[in-house]
Amino acid sequence: MADAVVRHVVTFGRVLREVGLEVGPGRVADALRALDAVDLERQEDVYFSLRQTLVCRQDELDLFDRAFNAWFLRAPVLPPLRTAPSPVAQQRVGESLADRARDDGERDDELGDPLELGASGHELLREKDFAEMTPAEYRRVKRLIAAIAENRPLRSSRRRSSDPRGDRLDMRRLIRRSLRTGGDPVERPFRARKRVARKLVVLCDVSGSMDAYARALVLFLHAAVGSGPGVEAFAFGTRLSRLTAELGTRDPESALEKCTEAVTDWGSGTRIGASLKEFNDVYGKRALSRGAVVVIVSDGWERQDPALVGREMARLARAAYAVVWVNPLKGNPEYQPLAGGMRAALPFVDRFLPGHNLRSLEELAAVLAGIERRHAA
Amino acid sequence: MTVSGFRTIDELEDALRGADYLPDRGLSTALFLALALEKPLLLEGEAGVGKTEAAKSLAQATGSRLIRLQCYEGLDVAHAVYEWNYPRQLLHIRAAQEGTVSEDELFGPEFLIRRPLLEAIDGDEPVVLLIDEIDRADEEFEAFLLEVLSDFQITIPELGTIRARRRPAVILTSNRTRELHDALKRRALFHWIGHPSIEREIEIVKIRIPGVSERLAAQAAAFVRELRGLDLAKPPGVAETIDWAMALNALGRQEIDAEVVEQTLGSVLKYREDIEAVRDETLARLVDSARTTAGA
Repeated sequence: MADAVVRHVVTFGRVLREVGLEVGPGRVADALRALDAVDLERQEDVYFSLRQTLVCRQDELDLFDRAFNAWFLRAPVLPPLRTAPSPVAQQRVGESLADRARDDGERDDELGDPLELGASGHELLREKDFAEMTPAEYRRVKRLIAAIAENRPLRSSRRRSSDPRGDRLDMRRLIRRSLRTGGDPVERPFRARKRVARKLVVLCDVSGSMDAYARALVLFLHAAVGSGPGVEAFAFGTRLSRLTAELGTRDPESALEKCTEAVTDWGSGTRIGASLKEFNDVYGKRALSRGAVVVIVSDGWERQDPALVGREMARLARAAYAVVWVNPLKGNPEYQPLAGGMRAALPFVDRFLPGHNLRSLEELAAVLAGIERRHAA
Repeated sequence: MTVSGFRTIDELEDALRGADYLPDRGLSTALFLALALEKPLLLEGEAGVGKTEAAKSLAQATGSRLIRLQCYEGLDVAHAVYEWNYPRQLLHIRAAQEGTVSEDELFGPEFLIRRPLLEAIDGDEPVVLLIDEIDRADEEFEAFLLEVLSDFQITIPELGTIRARRRPAVILTSNRTRELHDALKRRALFHWIGHPSIEREIEIVKIRIPGVSERLAAQAAAFVRELRGLDLAKPPGVAETIDWAMALNALGRQEIDAEVVEQTLGSVLKYREDIEAVRDETLARLVDSARTTAGA
């Protein structure tokens, strides 16, 4: 192959890395082998050869196209797709992070281990509304939140493992043991289905009215995502954002920061119906919700047509194993689910829970661990 | 060593046409490179765009045997790779004189049941291995598969390691119900299949339904294209276009009108909400628009 082509492709690999694609030397080598196999005269073939060897995700195709056009066709480079968070949102994030940083630095030692708090202090904290917590209190409940999120609903797997109380014979073992007895299966080893975590999908409302609770719930989400595979997290306000990757980072605070970056409409109005529709259309179709326990965290204030909420909830409920709605307002004994969106959603909800304080999150965790299909709310 | 001896993409494209499959240039490039580079090819795209078909047609075009592994949650080695034939083993022990059967004998090749993956790497004939809907298998299995696809070898504890004498062409499909592991993606070529252009879709309908009229094929393709432009829960794929055109053809239709569309909507749309949405408002308009596009 001509040196010029090799140089061109290697440099193009670097261009792709600069725009954020993961293009290692192995991929570049594949690209060169591919170009060796096709006709370089045909631009279409060159394009696909490079794309198929250098890109491995559908959502990176657009970036690749821009880079390809810019590099090979000398088209002007377009601005990146992702919209930056609004200045207001940035400022809010900045302020709240600054608050936390100040607080963390100054008084961390005095507070001690949150898990070793005195019983009464602990009890008070469990009952306190997230919206009324001081930053210090909030930080104390952080670890408690993480601990309770690790309860996951279970389901039977198709895979079996050795278990004396199992329901199927362990044939491989039985045959080996039968050798000693001339083919008589005297000993009967069993296998049982393993219990594995059920898929868990959490959709968290981060609109203005939910701000105080969203922070606590994002911590809950973070711990849930960290509890093992099969957890997906989304945030919504006026639109839906997938947060699974952001929450995959280890530190919940930086995860929270990334969430605020990803959800550019943090703190703005709510479009529950439209967000649910987007979830059903994009992710439900990909069977993300099938057989899953879906938890929706929202106060149910819909700015738009409540009928859409009902329709999309019906679709969601059909695909999901169970739907849980967590509404912080329900913590108030006088609360009535009269808001249009909430009322439209309730017929399709298996469990309707508060979520305004630590105790209610514990309740949520307990419900998730033992949930059965179609509970009475 | 390759499954086939195609020297150019055009040659492969011709062979695929011979197998009644009309890939666009992107897909034929992907299939060509999978053969030329001997790398697995990961195909993604909306349901019904022909991912599984691509593998079947590649097998036909290359004169290979198609071995299909359909993935599902809980798929394990016993279903994907091999299993021992326990009843035969027990009979064998019984039939033998006491003490004469050794474990080695019992776990020998004659008691082995070969499942798709073992079948695909342990043979002399050319093979296209289709690993369908890999996203449905769990991550444990994906990790196992990664090993097999890296080395093209399988280890059976009782028998030792079996190496492929001839590498199968491997096509993986995914509906993206979850993101696949990077390591697996790194080992594979990647191609995203979009919906075909209208011209190609008309060609596909004609090639799949012998005797269908040009006009009906064009109108069906144009109508489905209109449907894809709507906000539907499940936009129809090529498979649905074919089903639908087949139904219309079976009804003896030469073209579409609102009435026949209404009657047959169920073969093109698979969700009640979608059918209702289309019926309610837009049916007549879509039919008009499709007929205009198709030049009725």
